[in-house]
Amino acid sequence: MTGPAIILLLAGLGAIAWVSARARAMRLQTVARATGRRDAVHSLPGYHGWYVALWTLIPAVIFLAIWANVAPGLVTQSVLADPAAQSLPLDGFSRSAILGEARAIASGDQAGAFNPLSQGLVEPYRAALNKYGVAGGVLALVLAFAGGAYAFTRVRPDFRARTRVERLVMASLLIASLIAIVTTVGIVASLLWESFRFFSMVNPIDFLFGTKWSPQSAAMGYGNDDAFGAVPLFWGTIFIGAIIAMIVAIPLGLMSAIYLTQYASPTVRKWMKPTLEMLAGVPTVVYGYFAALTIAPALRDFAVMIGIHGASSESALAAGLVMGVMIIPFVSSMADDSIAAVPQSMRDGSLAMGATTSETIRKVLIPAALPGVVGGVLLAVSRAIGETMIVVMAAGLAANMTLNPFASVTTVTTQIVQLLTGDQEFDSAKTLAAFALGLVLFIVTLLLNIVALRVVKKYREAYE
Amino acid sequence: MSATRTPTDWKSDIMQKRIAGRYAAERRFKFAGLFAVVLSASFLAFLLFTMMGNGLRGFTRTEIALKIDFPASPLLLDPAAITDESLNQANLPMVTDTVAKKLLGADADALLSPTAWISIRDAIKADPKILSRTETISVPASTGLDLAAKSNGSPEMEAAAARLKQQGVLSTGFNFSFLTASDGTDPTQVGIWGAFKGSLLTMIVTLLLSFPIGVATALYLEEYARKSWWTDIIEVSINNLAAVPSIIFGLLGLSIFLNLAHLPRSAALVGGMTLALMTMPVIVIAGRNAIKSVPPSIRDAALGIGASPVQVVFQHVLPLALPGILTGTIIGMARALGETAPLLMIGMRAFIATPPGGITDPATVLPVQIFLWSDEVSKGFVEKTSAAIIVLLAFLLAMNGLAIYLRNKFETRW
Repeated sequence: MTGPAIILLLAGLGAIAWVSARARAMRLQTVARATGRRDAVHSLPGYHGWYVALWTLIPAVIFLAIWANVAPGLVTQSVLADPAAQSLPLDGFSRSAILGEARAIASGDQAGAFNPLSQGLVEPYRAALNKYGVAGGVLALVLAFAGGAYAFTRVRPDFRARTRVERLVMASLLIASLIAIVTTVGIVASLLWESFRFFSMVNPIDFLFGTKWSPQSAAMGYGNDDAFGAVPLFWGTIFIGAIIAMIVAIPLGLMSAIYLTQYASPTVRKWMKPTLEMLAGVPTVVYGYFAALTIAPALRDFAVMIGIHGASSESALAAGLVMGVMIIPFVSSMADDSIAAVPQSMRDGSLAMGATTSETIRKVLIPAALPGVVGGVLLAVSRAIGETMIVVMAAGLAANMTLNPFASVTTVTTQIVQLLTGDQEFDSAKTLAAFALGLVLFIVTLLLNIVALRVVKKYREAYE
Repeated sequence: MSATRTPTDWKSDIMQKRIAGRYAAERRFKFAGLFAVVLSASFLAFLLFTMMGNGLRGFTRTEIALKIDFPASPLLLDPAAITDESLNQANLPMVTDTVAKKLLGADADALLSPTAWISIRDAIKADPKILSRTETISVPASTGLDLAAKSNGSPEMEAAAARLKQQGVLSTGFNFSFLTASDGTDPTQVGIWGAFKGSLLTMIVTLLLSFPIGVATALYLEEYARKSWWTDIIEVSINNLAAVPSIIFGLLGLSIFLNLAHLPRSAALVGGMTLALMTMPVIVIAGRNAIKSVPPSIRDAALGIGASPVQVVFQHVLPLALPGILTGTIIGMARALGETAPLLMIGMRAFIATPPGGITDPATVLPVQIFLWSDEVSKGFVEKTSAAIIVLLAFLLAMNGLAIYLRNKFETRW
């Protein structure tokens, strides 16, 4: 029996269970009402229906989930017990290759065999697959029937079906909320585990403080000792994300927020605010393409024109500029919020003393809103250093430690992409280095976020 | 305090100058603000304008009308027995080459797309009778000629385009194959259908996973959970997940879904699962805000007439909060649709020339396709990349428009 057929059958059984249990409960209700006791049936008929349907489906589905994991092992075992399997090579790799091929042919994924040995195993495989498939299907159906029948006998006027169903609803809500924790743990665990393997090959001190980054040479067998110094990557990330991008984003974002909240007419504000927010909605791959195709060549030509040496067609400036534009809406909306949180009385006081609007903004509003603005900038920085596509497409791969914005630099995220695309061997330091870089990135963005949120929160409390 | 102090003379020259200076500073500051807004907006306009300028040409294709005299051609085919096999054995590429050289001159190689013979094959397959007469068939032009016809090519190709235009065999039309074809090596033949279908499948998986889980989490945290260290942990992890760089989710997908669970590489299933983990916190945060805005009186009223806590939430609170939740979901999905980096990590950057048939088939998605095309050396890919970007942006715009519409239409002020 095939998977979809079983699932359809089960769904049908569930529906039948729901309908029949509901009908029975309704009959009970009519009977009870005829005796004049309106409260004789505890739960509405629908709850009885759900109760029986869930009892029909859940045990069977749990069984199928377990069976799907156990059955392949049982199938392989029974194939190995077959006389045709005696001639298999003992070496594990070629053995599993032959078995895999036989399985692919038996289940119809593959037409013919490359290895004559696997051809002989096809028939035993087919028989075993068939046997365990049918067994699993029959067992699941029996379980569904048993569960449904047990629950059906419990449909009685005083049975608290609603309470049971609601308990299950609550449990599933709780489980759903645990997925967030599982994901976080999964991220931390996978990063830590792979980084741990990396640091067993490369000294953490060399990684964090080394200044030479050339994973290719390590992959070619020149040793891991000084090939994984990540400082040039950290510098490139800070240079693009925290310096160039912020030089663009902070003034533009802050001034936009000030203009739109303090000067602009409501109509202008209504139209310009969503327009600026569109900047944050453009996919980063589009920004990256734009930076690489339009901005970078223009900047290189400009650099050559004013006579700067080392100008590259992939420059820190191109990536940083475009990233800064992408960040403008973040800075602007954070600044907007913190300026709005400054008490009106401070503003009124300043204006009443005869200060102009700009003097009020510069000398009262901004100093008062500064913690909020700083928090927003920190969030923007954490966003910028985690940004991938713009730097992959526009910043280049050369691990330079340079102050020249027209030169090519590389970043943490670029190198993660670079190390993990292409052929991967999961025991080489080159591949594992990507996870160590990911760990550093994760920790830094997390710290930035925690600090930023704390700053913003503290400042909000000060005015409340 | 001396009694001789006089009030400030605001009319004095010095004071007037000072006031004028302060007003000038005021104007300068206001102008700087306006300048920042205009500069940011014009950057957006410049970006969209550049993409439009490059991309609209990507939707058109140059074709050459070949007047083929089939009986006189070296084609050996029996019109009565046309099968896929006989067409494959007829060596159409060479025949096309010979015919084209006769009609267009010795440089026909450079003028026709290397896959031009496919158009001829399809024409014969559609109507085998044309083999007994002279028939005009439009075949795609080469990338060089295509660019030249759109006035952006090399000098010799420009000349060839002018010559062919004079002969009246050159035409430019809407490129339907861009919407129906998949990735390829030749820019005249590529299309976005494969990537689009991949995106669609990935988004379906993302939505099916993240929406129920996100809504359930939001309901649990907002309606049922008592404040404890446990709910604090859940809350902190959701806020953190919302701030984690997307590439980290890619690393998670790579090490857990691919290396630990051995799910298929490059598949929409894994892509969708990875993006669902990323989208879920967005839905949870939007959902909690929407649930919070449902006034407590509704809950009290329902409880008062005997509804159970689960009935209160599922029959009263959730329907009222749904527009807000949906708005948040659409915004989260729009973000997931534009996401590239995590999908690169799980191997969705492979060259895939056929559209995926299911969620476990190797697939690619629109943003990744854009990234792959942007890396191509051939000049013809520039306009194709921009055209794909236009399609992607159109979808994002439509999704965000829908979100804004929903918010305006169903938003209730209590």
